[in-house]
Amino acid sequence: MIASPLRVITYNLIKELGLAILLLLGVSFVVFVILYAAPGDQFSVLLEGQLPTEEARAGIREALGVAQSWYGQYFSWLLGVLSGNFGTSVRTGLPVAGELFNVSLNTLYLTLGSMLVTLFVAVPIALYSSVRGHSVAISWPLTMLGYVVSALPVFWLGYIAIYISIHNFNFFPLASVSQTSAENGWLYTLVPVLVLGLGSGTISEVIRSLREEMSRVMAEDYVRTARAKGASVWRHAFKEGLLLPVTEIIASKIPFILGGAVIVEQVFGWPGMGRMAWQAAQDRDFPVIMGIVLVAAAFVRLGSLIQRIVCATVNRRGQRD
Amino acid sequence: MKKYSQTTAEIGDFSKLPLLQKYALADLLYVAYGLLIVALVLVSYILGMFDLLPHDPQQINMGLLMAPPASGGYLLGTDFMGRDILSRLIVGIQAYFLPGLLAISISLTGGVVLGILSGYWGGKLETVITYFTNLVDSFPRLVLILLVIAAFKPDIYYIMVVMGITGVPTVATAIANKIRFLAQKSFIEAALALGLHARVIIFKHILWYNCRALLIIQATLGMGEAILLETSLSYLGFGVQEPVPSWGNMVQSGANYFLQGNFWPSTAPALAILFTILGFNLLGDGLNNILEDRRGR
Repeated sequence: MIASPLRVITYNLIKELGLAILLLLGVSFVVFVILYAAPGDQFSVLLEGQLPTEEARAGIREALGVAQSWYGQYFSWLLGVLSGNFGTSVRTGLPVAGELFNVSLNTLYLTLGSMLVTLFVAVPIALYSSVRGHSVAISWPLTMLGYVVSALPVFWLGYIAIYISIHNFNFFPLASVSQTSAENGWLYTLVPVLVLGLGSGTISEVIRSLREEMSRVMAEDYVRTARAKGASVWRHAFKEGLLLPVTEIIASKIPFILGGAVIVEQVFGWPGMGRMAWQAAQDRDFPVIMGIVLVAAAFVRLGSLIQRIVCATVNRRGQRD
Repeated sequence: MKKYSQTTAEIGDFSKLPLLQKYALADLLYVAYGLLIVALVLVSYILGMFDLLPHDPQQINMGLLMAPPASGGYLLGTDFMGRDILSRLIVGIQAYFLPGLLAISISLTGGVVLGILSGYWGGKLETVITYFTNLVDSFPRLVLILLVIAAFKPDIYYIMVVMGITGVPTVATAIANKIRFLAQKSFIEAALALGLHARVIIFKHILWYNCRALLIIQATLGMGEAILLETSLSYLGFGVQEPVPSWGNMVQSGANYFLQGNFWPSTAPALAILFTILGFNLLGDGLNNILEDRRGR
């Protein structure tokens, strides 16, 4: 029996969605286990100095809901997360969910913007060197540049960008400052986006994989046929030579870009997830860091889900695993 | 002597050299540069261990702050407290050297075990292992490490254990793919037909004869990543703490003077990071092209 293409796509997508949910459950469990295994709990810093006796501390813990069995704690936390309640921050006493939402929008802006920057730089280079530049004189410097950029410490690149924007363009690109002075504030935010896009080390990977794929596709028979009959080579090579490799590499690099975002946010004082995670790691603020890891993992899974959707719509029979 | 005085054109034509007929020049240059960097790191690490340094890395010289390179007996100049940058760079290697080796060995061991389990036996086990690798890949590495720092303490060895575990999927996938590729080869079939024990086939025929190069390449690339991670974390303030030097905290503490126009104290460690990571990455990729994809020429 030959299933209709649409049916196969829906089946595959439902399977992917199920897998993503399973993986996110796994992520939540790992996060919980790591924090459960930690010496002391989130309230130990708060309570050790404040209450002298063990009984008093135990009483407070019971009131805060710590004294359950481990699976009780896990499920009550998980149910809270599913209903949008990430707990309250130990440091600020505010609910995590609202702040997490704002902060993750900022990080989303930073990472999506930096991906665009990466693609604007990498795709032309890769296309040019796969279609025209088989000579060493063109491809070698570009390859070398890719290697150097991916080895460059992104925090140092950030300082250079700050220095250049202060001395040459006469503005101070720190997000916390720029957002208060509203006029053209978004212009200042371009600097961190550029730094992350250029310095996260994704450029060289995109160039490398795109060049390989494009060269392979250009040598395929159907592209030769298209060329022979005068049809658009570009249209024939676009899906397999550009769309698939780009979505694949970007989806697989999301964790890496989010890691880079932690550092760039620190350099520029960008109020995003990375900076919040850094603060939470210093304060042992468990509810905050738990929420951040979950949201970050959800971003990663969402990216790979989108990649699968693109893949399934391009390749109707879903042959690519 | 006649034999050695051939025309310069013939000698100058390097493409006639046996090595170059086999491999691409670029790959050989990559590997040569990479080996140079590895040797430099090793020698510096040993020098730092035995305190054979040009100056005391903690020695403060208030008379010579932020000296440029090659001045006042300081080969790479001094930082904002008049401390010798070269000595601090050498000692800074200790911050990542042993932890990096730990991370690599965890990634390789875990990756080999999981790769063999999923590539050689497959079946249900493969499903479980694929789930595990997908699970590990769902965590952004740096965010997971921040979680572990929040849970335990900012200890570089904890961090490197996490780094090692997050490196397992890459190695496991590479090994599993290699095994699936080898399984179609006739020598594995022959070994099976001869009735060799699975242990012999796996360790001798697969791992030793066919995965050596792959593991060396993964180890090299892993070291590059470990350096990137350690410097990032010590930049964030979770690694080695001042006054003990590490390349990351040198960039960070020098950065305050960066905006005044004193680039060197934070640029010197940044360049050290750049050249070292570049060396490890080029070594890994060059070895990969030479040993694995024998398409070259």
